[in-house]
Amino acid sequence: MSIRVGADVSAMTGEAAPPRRNGELVFEAPWQGRAFGMAVGAVERLGLEWSAFQQRLIAAIAAQPEAPYYDCWVAALEQLLLDHGVIQREELDTVQRAARALLP
Amino acid sequence: MSDHHDDDHHDDDHHRPEPVSPVEARARALEALLEDKGFLQPGFVDAVVSTYENDIGPMNGARVVARAWVDPAYRTRLLADGTAAIAELGFGGPEGRHLVVVENTPGVHNVVVCTLCSCYPWAVLGLPPTWYKSPPYRARMVREPRLLLREMGLDLPESVEIRVWDSSAEIRYMVLPERPAGSGGQSEDELARLVSRDAMIGTARP
Repeated sequence: MSIRVGADVSAMTGEAAPPRRNGELVFEAPWQGRAFGMAVGAVERLGLEWSAFQQRLIAAIAAQPEAPYYDCWVAALEQLLLDHGVIQREELDTVQRAARALLP
Repeated sequence: MSDHHDDDHHDDDHHRPEPVSPVEARARALEALLEDKGFLQPGFVDAVVSTYENDIGPMNGARVVARAWVDPAYRTRLLADGTAAIAELGFGGPEGRHLVVVENTPGVHNVVVCTLCSCYPWAVLGLPPTWYKSPPYRARMVREPRLLLREMGLDLPESVEIRVWDSSAEIRYMVLPERPAGSGGQSEDELARLVSRDAMIGTARP
């Protein structure tokens, strides 16, 4: 069922060390963390199993094996949202065009 | 969004935010759209990120390993049904389902990879490190594990068999490392501190 970000997870504090202590940072840039959080939120809001996202991520990576990992992640997330009718292709195109226009 | 213009560079260069990449712009636009629609509540994404960065991590797996080292009955349950055994310690959730724990022995070393994408047991290891998701790791760990492990700092004798476990959407793997020699008198908490994330992936030994 849900991600349980609140319940049992929040109880794990105290001597629990942050994951980065054991290695490098989990995300290379903050936006990657946000893309991760969006996918977790979308799966939870839609009441899906995580595999619904995972399958689209596998497909996105297979479609562009050389693309950076989080490019594929965002593509998979868009596909999930489109497939479940959360967003429409047209409005996605519109906001993406606007976002591109702001790039240097 | 940045409102920097070309005329402010003389005294402000090092305060300027990193240029936004196309994919970052795309992700930001998507997030704004989802918030506009009320699909994601403001602050939700921040909460998820914070939780995964701070509260869920390899220390969960380290506690599982330490318990298995001190409690033979728990070890047996862990190897028989990883998902149920980590739930005993309060761990679970997405990507913790169908957890299979594979045990290192003097003659066998296990290592985990996901050749298709980045399947990884979040519940016990947190989020995967960058290299785990990289194409070279995913390809080479299957093709030439002994060489790749050596390059990553783990030089195994030829007599040790290497078993590579390819995670999938159905099954996540975690390695139960061997308890280090000389750790006999240590408490469970002390033992947990010996267990690194990489030891549970199989690219290191405690």
